[in-house]
Amino acid sequence: MKKASSLSELGFDADGPSTFFRQLTLSECDERPPRRRLIKISVIGAGNVGMAIAQTILTQDLADEIVLVDAVADKVRGEMLDLQHAAAFLPRVNIVSGTDIASLTRSSDLVIVTAGARQIPGETRLNLLQRNVSLFRRIVPAAAEASPESLLLIVSNPVDVLTYVAWKLSGFPASRVIGSGTNLDSSRFRFLLAEHLEVSAQDVQAYMVGEHGDSSVALWSSISVAGMPVLAHLQRNHRSSAAAAKAFDAAALEGIRRAVVGSAYEVIKLKGYTSWAIGYSVASIAWSLLRDQRRIHPVSVLAKGLVRGVPADRELFLSLPARLGRAGVIGVAAELELTEEEEKRLRVSADTLWGYCHALGL
Amino acid sequence: MKKATSLSELGFDADGAASGFFRPVAESSSTPTSHRRRLTKISVIGAGNVGMAIAQTILTRDLADEIALVDALPDKLRGEMLDLQHAAAFLPRVRLVSDTDMGVTAGSDLVIVTAGARQIPGETRLNLLQRNVALFRKIVPAVAEASPEALLLIVSNPVDVLTYVAWKLSGFPASRVIGSGTNLDSSRFRFLLAEHLQVNAQDVQAYMVGEHGDSSVAIWSSMSVAGMPVLKSLRESHQSFDEEALEGIRRAVVDSAYEVISLKGYTSWAIGYSVAGLAASLLRDQHRIHPVSVLASGFHGIPDEHQVFLSLPARLGCAGVVGVAEMELTEEEARRLRRSAKTLWENCQLLDL
Repeated sequence: MKKASSLSELGFDADGPSTFFRQLTLSECDERPPRRRLIKISVIGAGNVGMAIAQTILTQDLADEIVLVDAVADKVRGEMLDLQHAAAFLPRVNIVSGTDIASLTRSSDLVIVTAGARQIPGETRLNLLQRNVSLFRRIVPAAAEASPESLLLIVSNPVDVLTYVAWKLSGFPASRVIGSGTNLDSSRFRFLLAEHLEVSAQDVQAYMVGEHGDSSVALWSSISVAGMPVLAHLQRNHRSSAAAAKAFDAAALEGIRRAVVGSAYEVIKLKGYTSWAIGYSVASIAWSLLRDQRRIHPVSVLAKGLVRGVPADRELFLSLPARLGRAGVIGVAAELELTEEEEKRLRVSADTLWGYCHALGL
Repeated sequence: MKKATSLSELGFDADGAASGFFRPVAESSSTPTSHRRRLTKISVIGAGNVGMAIAQTILTRDLADEIALVDALPDKLRGEMLDLQHAAAFLPRVRLVSDTDMGVTAGSDLVIVTAGARQIPGETRLNLLQRNVALFRKIVPAVAEASPEALLLIVSNPVDVLTYVAWKLSGFPASRVIGSGTNLDSSRFRFLLAEHLQVNAQDVQAYMVGEHGDSSVAIWSSMSVAGMPVLKSLRESHQSFDEEALEGIRRAVVDSAYEVISLKGYTSWAIGYSVAGLAASLLRDQHRIHPVSVLASGFHGIPDEHQVFLSLPARLGCAGVVGVAEMELTEEEARRLRRSAKTLWENCQLLDL
């Protein structure tokens, strides 16, 4: 039973405000007030990930209106109320919720899709695929129609394939369809390196690209702190069975990469799911997009013709360092100097993802 | 099995790292004790939905240099800590630690206690009491010993009684023991009024005081917007205004917590913002007024010897409770408050502290 959640429902006349505040005379008001540029963000999926994203966006004061959509009406209403109750502690934000994409998300500046089955411990991201494609058929066309000019940001896993799916189903130009990709993997990568070097993670430039998942690619040669390349330093400092400067090999680096890939699974195993980190990651992307920041994020973009050794007509999405702004993906890093090994791995990533995208027949 | 979460565990020499990559200037790259003391440390006891919403909001708001998380469940705790650490690239550098042992909280400026059983839909807050007192005996003395100068902020329900319990068990002066109280109830109250008046909730001054729970007291005369009292306007906008109409608003506020619980299973976000706001006022010495649970004996006719905690508008700063407002209440409001105090005191007396 829905409890009273407004004074109108309790018998107080809603026209009351006009006597509490006197309006300026009609001649001094617009007949129809112009619609100003209020930022509207819709989050599809009010689970742990969606809500961590919505709440971080709210705390960071990015949006004027936040829409929460979920298939479970009670759950999403409860989440909306829980955010609204913090009204005294936040700038005024219009928060609405419901189950209907078409009516609620109309004219969004950014639509963030987190809906999808949760990754079960041990399940690879690619195993989630089929379950989520049919869900996207119900979500994406409706969202695209309701907000034909919006940016579309996909978080659901497997994110690279689902971003491809969203691109196909929305009919949007690829510049406006982005997947959260390896933005978070890169943060975890930078965290490990930052702890080791005892510097702020924000001063560690390091990218993981390719698939957000098991075949992600760590760009070792691009790691840089204080303008100094880190790889050579790591090589000098590895404790190996042989003498100090010797016997450093790819296995040691692979250990770091696996630790990054494994850390997501570890959090899932320990607390059941991940939420906070992806919340911050996606809010960061949202900020760069809507505030036209021109920041570089490794996110899942259309990689057609961008991966050496992959046929230029293949349409697939994977993460590359991309410049993000209000128009979406403004540019993708074009002069990455990859080692032979890194190129090979990126090709493998691309081939794997291409296999899945192609098989969907979209 | 614990996976590798540091480069050291993966065979990379940690001693070589910083000293080879950077030429040291300070005596040591680890912060000396004297300087560490000047860093802000907040500990959150209880890594459930409430504790984590609080910790995460504190982190997003950049209130602390170090955050310690404590919980009884080691896996859950470690997972939550990692999940926050992984956001390192998106946040200022904050030291995050966690342990099931209270020792990890040593040297805290503020300790926030959220540990306790969750309120089951339909269960009144007072029913949770006995379960939580036993838990506090395990938590509070250890926390007080590890951080003898900390501020103690209690969130667990029933918050007013448990703040009293924490005060007794900690041995701290009452100025340093605060309960989250009706800070959130007042926000919900202000939200309802703000929506109705179509103004920003931050411009609605309105206090709910007393018990955080069913017998909370709405101070109608305190409602003020743009310097104008609101009560008169509400009276005029209602078809058949009477005491019941006002009681309807108060009940809507009290019920809204239960409603969220029945819809999503628990509350988290709002209490997270509420407590983070209290943390900011305390640690940054803001001298802001918050209705929080404080030692209320001697106020509004509550007997001095009834050492009961309940919410009154309090001025908060780095010393804790800097002052408590002497509101002018109507007879009815004061009566309700005293009745609230009497019930709370009866509960406190049952606890043998």
